[in-house]
Amino acid sequence: MDNELVFPLLLLALLGAAAWKRLPAYDLFVCGAKQGLGVAVQVLPNLAGMLCALSLMEASGLTAALCGLAAPALGLLGLPPEVTPLLLLRPMSGSASLGLVESLMERFGPDSQVGLIACTLMGAGETIFYTVCVYMSATEERRTGYAVPCALLGALAGAWLAGRLFS
Amino acid sequence: MLLQWLWWMMMAFSVAYACLTGQAAAVLPAALGGAADAVALTLRLCAGYLLFCGLIEILNALKATERLNALLRPALRRLMPGIESEECMQAVTLNLTANLLGLGNAATPSGIRAMALMDQERKRRPAALYAMYMLLILNATGLQLLPTTVLTLRVAAGSAMPNAVLWPTLACNVASSVVGVRLGLACMRRREAKRG
Repeated sequence: MDNELVFPLLLLALLGAAAWKRLPAYDLFVCGAKQGLGVAVQVLPNLAGMLCALSLMEASGLTAALCGLAAPALGLLGLPPEVTPLLLLRPMSGSASLGLVESLMERFGPDSQVGLIACTLMGAGETIFYTVCVYMSATEERRTGYAVPCALLGALAGAWLAGRLFS
Repeated sequence: MLLQWLWWMMMAFSVAYACLTGQAAAVLPAALGGAADAVALTLRLCAGYLLFCGLIEILNALKATERLNALLRPALRRLMPGIESEECMQAVTLNLTANLLGLGNAATPSGIRAMALMDQERKRRPAALYAMYMLLILNATGLQLLPTTVLTLRVAAGSAMPNAVLWPTLACNVASSVVGVRLGLACMRRREAKRG
């Protein structure tokens, strides 16, 4: 798959269509970018709060301690024990879990069972708390209701399947 | 109140744990480091927001989103029954399409816009709240066709078969989205039944 072609081709199609319809492409771009700037400014305080908390959890060793505590329970999913910390890290921090995947591949090799499962969990997962935090920043609503539990259970189902596929 | 509660727990327990394990001195640098991460991340995201919001505006003027929307409409009707506004549906469509194509930076601004529009709609139709939750679930279980970052990492780690995770990743991704969405729909029905 020529993934690198996706964006350039989409962009060319967009510019071509704009010229065809004689739209003021530059003015439209600037108008939209203005909205984009607003989005970034709106999101920053929320991000600062969430990343502060995550950084504190990392630095204090609380993240590592929680991973150790939850490992036996998550082991029931049938995943190798080396991978279980990733299950907890993945929803919380993209960069921390990426670092863990890298070190797992270094220790066990990228094509080992551990390496393959770690990569699959990394690619199929999403930083759930970050996503929810950023999206909620646009609203006046502060309750997230059942959204987070549903997403987390979904992620667990994906992890279970990853264990089955590479066992 | 999940965010309030979660944030409080994360902060308080971390600080208490750091003090108990004799790392009190690390608290302030770590907290400031987190805020600095947010600034760096926003700067990085900001470039994407500016670019993609600008391009999306052109796309909207072309009425391309309306057409794309018509394709996804039947599925979205079922997933987000509370939404009537055309503008909002278009933002949702753009968000999901960008996610599928792996253009994460383009997905966020349209997703945030959709959330803001749903928040307005909620004043007239309380059921729009369920659509907000559904959009959160769809994005938090992130449907994506190509895990580009992971592939790059595998090549860098010297893998003999970097693509071996492509299908498994897609399968697990679909599984997590399907389970998340199903649970979300079940929760929505239960809440609606409760309200009567």
